[in-house]
Amino acid sequence: MEWSLSKADETIPLTDVDSAVDEHLKRNLVMTNLEDMLAWGRKHSIWPFNFGLSCCYVEMATALTSRYDASRFGAEVIRGTPRQADMIVISGTCFLKMAPVVQRLYEQLLEPKWVISMGSCANSGGMYDIYSVVQGVDKFLPVDVYVPGCPPRPDAFLQGLMMLQDQVGKERRPLSWTIGEHGVIKPEKTSQRDRLMESRMQATDLRKPDSV
Amino acid sequence: MSAVAVPTVDADIETALLEAFPGSSFVFQATVDQIPTYWISRSDSKEILAFLKNKYEMLFDLSAIDERMRTHREGQPASDFTVIYHLMSLTHGRDIRLKIALTETDLNVASIHQVYPNANWYEREVWDMFGITFTGHPNLFRILLPPTWEGHALRKDHPARATELPPFSMDDARQDAEQEALRFKPEQWGMKRKHGKTEFMFLNLGPNHPSVHGVFRIVLQLDGELIVDAVPEIGYHHRGAEKMAERQTWHSYIPYTDRIDYVGGVMNNLPYVMGVEKMAGITVPDRAKVIRIMMAELFRISSHLVFYGTFAQDVGQMSPVFYMFSDRERLFRIVEAITGGRMHPAWFRIGGVAQDLPNGWEAMIKDFIDWMPARLADYEKMSMQNSILKQRTQGIGTYNSKEALDWGVTGPNLRATGFDYDMRRDRPYGGYDQFDFEVPVFQNGDCYDRAQVRVAEIRESLRIIEQCLHNMPAGPYKADHPLTTPPPKERTMYDIETMIHHFLNVSWGPVIPAGECTMTIEATKGLNAYSLTSDGGTNSYRTRIRTPSFPHLQQIPLISSGLMIADLIAIIASIDFVMADVDR
Repeated sequence: MEWSLSKADETIPLTDVDSAVDEHLKRNLVMTNLEDMLAWGRKHSIWPFNFGLSCCYVEMATALTSRYDASRFGAEVIRGTPRQADMIVISGTCFLKMAPVVQRLYEQLLEPKWVISMGSCANSGGMYDIYSVVQGVDKFLPVDVYVPGCPPRPDAFLQGLMMLQDQVGKERRPLSWTIGEHGVIKPEKTSQRDRLMESRMQATDLRKPDSV
Repeated sequence: MSAVAVPTVDADIETALLEAFPGSSFVFQATVDQIPTYWISRSDSKEILAFLKNKYEMLFDLSAIDERMRTHREGQPASDFTVIYHLMSLTHGRDIRLKIALTETDLNVASIHQVYPNANWYEREVWDMFGITFTGHPNLFRILLPPTWEGHALRKDHPARATELPPFSMDDARQDAEQEALRFKPEQWGMKRKHGKTEFMFLNLGPNHPSVHGVFRIVLQLDGELIVDAVPEIGYHHRGAEKMAERQTWHSYIPYTDRIDYVGGVMNNLPYVMGVEKMAGITVPDRAKVIRIMMAELFRISSHLVFYGTFAQDVGQMSPVFYMFSDRERLFRIVEAITGGRMHPAWFRIGGVAQDLPNGWEAMIKDFIDWMPARLADYEKMSMQNSILKQRTQGIGTYNSKEALDWGVTGPNLRATGFDYDMRRDRPYGGYDQFDFEVPVFQNGDCYDRAQVRVAEIRESLRIIEQCLHNMPAGPYKADHPLTTPPPKERTMYDIETMIHHFLNVSWGPVIPAGECTMTIEATKGLNAYSLTSDGGTNSYRTRIRTPSFPHLQQIPLISSGLMIADLIAIIASIDFVMADVDR
């Protein structure tokens, strides 16, 4: 948008009609295709399912409260039923006794649906290599984003959420039954470790723990 | 090497027992924790426990131990599996531990659920974990592991790791089978499907439900909207913490304790490290004691804030939880500055704490204790004085002190019934005797009073933290003892002997002398105890964790029958539990 300041007594020259029309169009028209628009909409309104398993759930809930405020990313509408939710966050340890229940809840989510695996237990079993724990929720669910930590800080969860949004925005779900590809086309998942390795290696000054 | 076991005899009780049961044999065992411990015979165990019920009003804990691999059992009768009863009298301030020896081929003992009602779940747990049968138990099913499980997990011959078991996979058939196994069958619990003309409805609440605070399932028998009976189902959060202790070193188990009551943070480390220190004979320096108390009380506030917010939310107030969580963040800023962690700092060490307080900690603590009182006053108006909240919680879910003790209820939930007992004051541990604080007690035993106790406790914790701030002793933050972790490093570069000890204690972990020790503290939710058994190795032979939430959940049916479903939600909120504290 182009604009300028002028004094009250100044006579304002009329802008030529063409540029005024252009300006008006710029303000009120967005050119896109339906597919992109849907992806954009999905990206900014991911409704999470009110579901939690253990410690991580407390940090996930913290991410919804004031200081972190997940609603900045359009993801504060917590749904009590899987049928109204888009995303399930596996926040906590996935127990053997709980696994069939988690599976059932995942199946009850309507497409499109995404899974964030939050915390070491959900990622891989973490520190619980024990008889009653499934060693990572990806043993039976397709995971879109893994958030590391035990438990991850709320900011880490928000980062995971933003990464999921990014994926959702790039994801293509063809609308046509007849032309082109049919299935969901997901973007390539990148490892944060590979992406950030170089910049992390640059760090030489680490803060000492003996002052606040 | 054995830990110093001090023979402690409660002469009155011993005489009374010998008089009442002249034909029975009582073998005395000395323990590190100085709790009088007797081996009793299986044949009259139930009678003995019934006799002791008048003297010890609460069954504090009931567990078992697989003794088959244990080498240091000097002076104890031969036993393959031992059932352990820990009775406690809060009014007289005394404990007694009773043990029953069982042989592998004959694993059964009389159920005592008629004597101590809370034995019901404990006996189920022992059956689930050890395969010991309790004759006369009304429903001896698995409680923690899925009904389809085979074997008994805490037996020494049961694999510990998931990676020792076949890889997990779940096809449709397995999912259906597991789901079917979890289906609630009223007949199994002796429940009728109809009574006269009334046909009951069975409502399954959980294991995933916004109001049950985690993975807790409760099945309700309903007459319309009235609860006739309820069956709590737990075990959806069983992380095998007790089995885990048998393979971690004494030191590397500390992080697992944080995750028991996961909103209690370092408060969980306290009973564990104090138990280990007692067995190792370590005296903790004053500075470490005060730092520990300060951190534990910060986490008590954090836990109570989570309670306060979710309690208000569960009875319909949307905003309080946002305020309380923002205060919790303020508190976590301090925790993070001091420990580097948020929820699970695992910051206490055997012999002290991980490191000294950082420069500038005083200002942060001072800010917080100046900030909180005004906020608490606001919350008082916003939540506790709110007429709807009062209507939803006053007179709901009531029980009296006697019922509470019968069911093993402790902590704020006990103090809400007018029973004035706080272990920090009445049996001070870890330096609490040096502090000045009140024990808030309320009289009605309903949901509202359970909340009031906690709100008042936040203020008392602030007082304790303020005293820590003004009276922080100088000196070391860890004991100078070879068994502390990590071991003292300073002298290692000067002589080979200390170098070797340091190397072994770091690579293998400290060897804690053989012995048995139970350490109990007043945790955020009630009495939390770690019963440690060392066989003179680098890891625990058996670690039993007695958590307050386990018995608290067990008594839900008692206080919810006859009420509406909405009242049950208020009850669940007021009990203040986390599932990891129940299932471990």
